[in-house]
Amino acid sequence: MDYLLHILIVALIYGIFAISLNLELGYTGLYNFGHVAFFGIGAYTSALLGLSGLPVSLSMALGMAAAGVAGALLAIPALRLTGDFFGIATLVFAEMVRLFFVNERWLTKGPMGLPGIPRPSWIGEGIAGLPMFLIFCILLTVLVALTGRRLATSPFGRALKVVREDEYVAQTLGKNVLSLKIRAVILGSVLAGLAGCLWAHYISYISPSDFTLNETILVLLCVVLGGKGTNWGPVLGAFIIIFFQEALRFLPIPADFGRLVAPLQGMVYGFVLILIMLKRPEGIVSEYRGSRQC
Amino acid sequence: MKKIIFLLTGFCFFFSGAYALAGTNEVVVGSVTPLTGKLAVYGEGFQQAMLLALDEVNASGGINGKPMKILFEDNNSTSKGSVSGIQKLIAIHKFPVIFGPAASSNFLAVCPIAQDNKVILIGAESAASAISTCGSYVFRVFPSDLGQGKGVAELTDNLGYKKVVLTYVNNDWGVGLAEVFKEQFLKNGGKLIDEFAHDEGKTDYRSEILRIKKESPKAVVNITYIKEGATMLKQAYETGVNVQWLMGSASKSPKMVALAGGAAEGVIGTYPTFSQETPQYRAFKEAWARKYPGKKMPIFGEYNYDMVKLTAKALKGAQSMSPDDIRAALIKASKGYIGVTGDKTFDANGDISATYGRWTVKGGKIGDYK
Amino acid sequence: MTYYAQLVLNGVIAGSIYALFAVGLTMVYGVFRFINFAHGELIAWGAYLVLLLINPPFSVPLYLAVLPALLVTMAIGVGQDRYVYQPLIHGNRITLLIASIGVSYLLRNTIRLIWGSDLMTYGIRPVRGIQFAGLSITPTQILMIGAAVFFLGALYFLLTRTMLGKSLRAVADNMELAAVMGINMKKVSLTVWILASLFAGAGGFLLALDTNLEPVMGMTNMIKAFAAVLLGGAGNVWGALVGGLFIGIAENVGVAFFSPGYKDFISFALIFLLLILRPKGIFGVLTGVR
Repeated sequence: MDYLLHILIVALIYGIFAISLNLELGYTGLYNFGHVAFFGIGAYTSALLGLSGLPVSLSMALGMAAAGVAGALLAIPALRLTGDFFGIATLVFAEMVRLFFVNERWLTKGPMGLPGIPRPSWIGEGIAGLPMFLIFCILLTVLVALTGRRLATSPFGRALKVVREDEYVAQTLGKNVLSLKIRAVILGSVLAGLAGCLWAHYISYISPSDFTLNETILVLLCVVLGGKGTNWGPVLGAFIIIFFQEALRFLPIPADFGRLVAPLQGMVYGFVLILIMLKRPEGIVSEYRGSRQC
Repeated sequence: MKKIIFLLTGFCFFFSGAYALAGTNEVVVGSVTPLTGKLAVYGEGFQQAMLLALDEVNASGGINGKPMKILFEDNNSTSKGSVSGIQKLIAIHKFPVIFGPAASSNFLAVCPIAQDNKVILIGAESAASAISTCGSYVFRVFPSDLGQGKGVAELTDNLGYKKVVLTYVNNDWGVGLAEVFKEQFLKNGGKLIDEFAHDEGKTDYRSEILRIKKESPKAVVNITYIKEGATMLKQAYETGVNVQWLMGSASKSPKMVALAGGAAEGVIGTYPTFSQETPQYRAFKEAWARKYPGKKMPIFGEYNYDMVKLTAKALKGAQSMSPDDIRAALIKASKGYIGVTGDKTFDANGDISATYGRWTVKGGKIGDYK
Repeated sequence: MTYYAQLVLNGVIAGSIYALFAVGLTMVYGVFRFINFAHGELIAWGAYLVLLLINPPFSVPLYLAVLPALLVTMAIGVGQDRYVYQPLIHGNRITLLIASIGVSYLLRNTIRLIWGSDLMTYGIRPVRGIQFAGLSITPTQILMIGAAVFFLGALYFLLTRTMLGKSLRAVADNMELAAVMGINMKKVSLTVWILASLFAGAGGFLLALDTNLEPVMGMTNMIKAFAAVLLGGAGNVWGALVGGLFIGIAENVGVAFFSPGYKDFISFALIFLLLILRPKGIFGVLTGVR
């Protein structure tokens, strides 16, 4: 049973991560291919502060704040770029952040990573803390998802969708497009930071290799598989992906084929990504678009 | 929404089916082993060596009449996978003893989890010196870097190099070893002209080589792995750098020599060693040939074999299957235990002592340096 | 002094290969207006296919293996376009980009599946570099520069002296107008993909000859090639050449001042700064294959 709790927790964390990307990709139409950077910044900040003895809830809040600040720092200059150029800028940003984690050994302990990250004191370490951590994650996911839903129906959210569909229309309507986008990225970064904090304190060990392009692709897959621009689609996508990954553990794989599992998994992800784009770009849960279907 | 609930229940059913495992009339030990991913090549050998030891344990009566079993959990060769794997072993199966994953970074990732849950963790191939301070439930039958770092410093000293360039692979193993080396080398009156880390798994180390070339040192201490070592040696040769390379144990491999294609000639290094003349080693060699005819003995296989054998001895002597009893029994069992790889007596940190040999490449073959 | 001269020379060698990658990337962008994230995988496949052919069961000599390997790389490039990008080209841009990320991930993991994640080499014995004035350069590296000059020269000839090249430039300028003028779009897009894959595959092979092969070699080089594209201005072929050289020199000389661990960081930071300060590239030409 404990193992199921473990998977649920991981799936929920990725769910939050996916919601945060969806905010940018789904609602606002920003191609952020470096979203993992904010997950990583949140995780590292919170882990380092937690390890230095700060109460975990405080360090998590600071972790989210750090991710938000980083988001703002990236967004303000980079959002002047259009489309794919913004994508590349974010991709490169994520790589730079990762290289920073690898090379600044005095701070991050480099590739060795940070072991022994504490959990919030009221949750408890080890297995005894699993149910509490799950409840904590469920609460946060629901909170984040509800915020997302509230946002989608708010004037802000509707304005974001107009930006996604046509920037000029948004401008004509008197909306400050740049400011809207920046706010979307900051919010997305803060939430990605939250997911990162949860991950670090849950798994208790982080290293730079946890924050590579692969993670971005995984969460991108969660979003587009579940349905971008929807409230629950990304969470559903995260559950499917995480359960699929863990299910592989129970398959009896002969030792000779062990080497092949990871690449095969990667090929499946790549293939599914292409297939969704070709056949059902809206994902499993499709976005409600009034009477217009496209 | 209905679809989502339907899907989730489906998954729950799927997983509940996976719990019908493990009997009560046997003693089961968990193992986090790289069966997929980049270390899978080695993982298979570790597994075979462990299974060989297991066969012998069970042939001679198992653990007080009950057969012993090992449940292998894959870690994708990553630290994340290791954490996931050990959590499964502790959470679902509640095993009191777990064999830790290869590669120091993976081992260090699972250390705190084992310590927090009071589960005994034993490693057979992780050398980082930081593991010594992991905690009271963590043991290893593989020697720590500390000794080897000192060994490399002594080697440099003995060969008469007073000024060297130091470079090391940028991970826990490389940094740990380099620090020990540096301390000892400076204490012996040596001087470092330059020191820098190099990243793992790059294809191009020319910038690093040039940095070495700029200082034109007589010798370079390069603490690195097989691929990285080979690439650096090759590119140094092409760039026309003529130095004496001094290396650690991790690059001692025929594969390194093959990849470097002649550029590895004359390299000298140190490695933890054990006598291959003991009756234990000969018995292991014969047993291996019998169980896996025609298969080459895997790297570190001997350590994995010793680990299982020693654990079995401890389990036999333990008063109960509680981790604390097993821990006491393990320390007791290790006292004076001579395995294939020598004396396995644990010290206060759960470490063992080791002797170090020297290797060199001559005529495209690795041999002992005299 | 020779230290810095050698760094610059290494930069030129690396840069000439980055330029080969960048030219392909920029041509695709110039015509189709999208960044092909899978471009890097063409680089890696070019290199790995040669490896496949020189080892058993084929055991072809190295120089004979190059041509068939490049042909297969071209087939992969054209296949990408035909089965994934063409059906999506008129749809939402984001769909196209995500699809190209999918293609890249699929192709990279196929390499992992077949050859493993380990470092591989063609197994050629290292040769002492040729020494002059304290600088050293290996015969392979001379070949690299030579190949870059040859390929880019041929491209220049194609673009300026042939009908095909003119139609290519016309399409890059304005796709609809070009189609109205009766330019065969199919032929043009086929040419672009063949050239892009050819340059990527050839560059990948040369790079692997000089260093080693690994599955992520495509991704890292794609990013650097992209930096070159940005520097030269997207869609500008000559800009790509200058940009490639600049990136190569910058990251190699940068090592003299930073830790070698930050070598990639230098080119990434450069991209970042460029994007923000000069989004149109140094030459300020955003459109048109010049």
